[in-house]
Amino acid sequence: MIALDPAEKKRPEFIKVRVKRQDGPGKDPYWQLFQIKYEPELNIISVLQRIAALATTSDGKKVAPVAWDCGCLEEVCGSCTMQINGRVRQSCSALVDRLLEENDDELVLEPMSKFPVIRDLIVDRKRLFRALQRVKAWVPVDSYYDMGSGERQLRSTQEQNYPLSQCMSCGCCLDACPQYGKIELEQREGESDEAFQARELEAFDEGFVGPHAISQAMLFNNHPTGKALAGERLDALTGPGGIQVCGNAQNCVSVCPKEIPLTTSIARAGRATTVHMIKKWFDR
Amino acid sequence: MSDSSHEPSFFLKHEFAIRRLHSLLGIIPLGLYMVVHLTTNASLLNGPETFQRAVYLIHSPGKLLPLIEWGFIFLPLIFHAGIGIWITKNAHLNSGKYQFTSNRRYSWQRWTGIIALVYLFLHIMHLHGGFHAEWWLAAIDRFGLGQFRPYNAGSSLVLAMNLGYGIVWPVIYLLGVLSLVYHFINGLWTAGITWGLWISPQAQARATKVCVVLGAILTVISLSAWAAAVFPSDADAVEMRAVEDRMYEAGVESGMVPEMEEKRWHDSSEIEEEIEIEENVQVSRGQEAPAA
Repeated sequence: MIALDPAEKKRPEFIKVRVKRQDGPGKDPYWQLFQIKYEPELNIISVLQRIAALATTSDGKKVAPVAWDCGCLEEVCGSCTMQINGRVRQSCSALVDRLLEENDDELVLEPMSKFPVIRDLIVDRKRLFRALQRVKAWVPVDSYYDMGSGERQLRSTQEQNYPLSQCMSCGCCLDACPQYGKIELEQREGESDEAFQARELEAFDEGFVGPHAISQAMLFNNHPTGKALAGERLDALTGPGGIQVCGNAQNCVSVCPKEIPLTTSIARAGRATTVHMIKKWFDR
Repeated sequence: MSDSSHEPSFFLKHEFAIRRLHSLLGIIPLGLYMVVHLTTNASLLNGPETFQRAVYLIHSPGKLLPLIEWGFIFLPLIFHAGIGIWITKNAHLNSGKYQFTSNRRYSWQRWTGIIALVYLFLHIMHLHGGFHAEWWLAAIDRFGLGQFRPYNAGSSLVLAMNLGYGIVWPVIYLLGVLSLVYHFINGLWTAGITWGLWISPQAQARATKVCVVLGAILTVISLSAWAAAVFPSDADAVEMRAVEDRMYEAGVESGMVPEMEEKRWHDSSEIEEEIEIEENVQVSRGQEAPAA
């Protein structure tokens, strides 16, 4: 799949790369065009390395190297996520030869659209992790005591849970979601860092939790120990910015690089919250 | 410094319940009502008698009718529309960028919702008038609005559609009704996910098939209803009116239909005359000759 077709002769000499840049948080974005020599089997990370080495735009202007983020280089950490040719994905697994097949004119790199830009292609995704805290996406086993072995998991439960556990918190699902809006606050003059952080968390906690968090809530509600917090997770999912914000556009499942059945999780959460709501209504 | 006293707004706190109510009202009563409405209108294809009988049945609650109208149609509609506008306003449509089928459906759900809302306002004004107050109906009648006469159901509908060169209203109705059919059927499909009826992709695919079939049936019904109202000419309407007047007279005679002249078609000059007669002479309506 990755190996190139040796019969393919048509290779460009140069690759044009258009990058949407931004010098810092809250600054105006601007576009720059770079040109690098074609090499076979490049990915977007290696393209960005070439651009950093050049630090010169296509019309010869010396510029600061484009900033980007990456980690594992094998599509399991999610840190190199950006918009490539208008579609959110990991730059490590975005192969240039494949991209040129779709559009041989140029490569277009933009930061993710739903998170505040820190610089160029680097964004601040802390809202994504805050959402995992909101739905308590963990197994509550903190204890000084040996609690013995856990409950046995059925094979079918394992098979249902494993795909959900593959989430790497990259944020593709959020970036493509038409219901997920960007929340970007600016620190006020004289506002302490703590006060700003608190204000930011409040804003995050009113925003949509997002498909990744809904799916993680379903993963841990389906876990023999994790289900101890099932009610609290469903409370979070029916609270402000909960599952009700979902508009069933189903982009999340289409763009998920790990092919996690996010819409299945959302529908399961829909059923669970329906039951939870009725129970709460009559049991209070 | 930090305003930890910050509380989410009433709307945000109860958004889950509000959105579920929005979802429910879209199906019951609104969607259900629309199916009944379109089917009733399609019955005009069978002739003015069939349609008129159905309208008599619908109007049989008499004085309760405004209560039913507001409780089961207008108020749910206003709620559904208000929340719908808010939902649309907060959507970041991106079906141009991510051209997946379900994403396009998501965008269409919002566009058809807005089209349907504008259409329903025009439709209610055009035929129903909104309020039953006589002075209001008389005022908007001059602009060709509030044209429907329940006891001359078929003929007044046909005449109303033929206003505006017989093209303006038919186009508006076709666009509006088809938008509504899409909005209802697609909404039914998404509601199934929202409430957790169809969960797996396979189940959702099956639900899609069922919804496509329902949508096709409803499209046929709505096109029939549209054609039945749009194709007859003014001359056909006069023939229909004769049938309806015969039914009314016989109905009043037998006690099957309450005598309510305001639900019948009158010449605008006749209406003024009638009001004058009522005001000045205080003649009981029963002795007046019914309009020809």
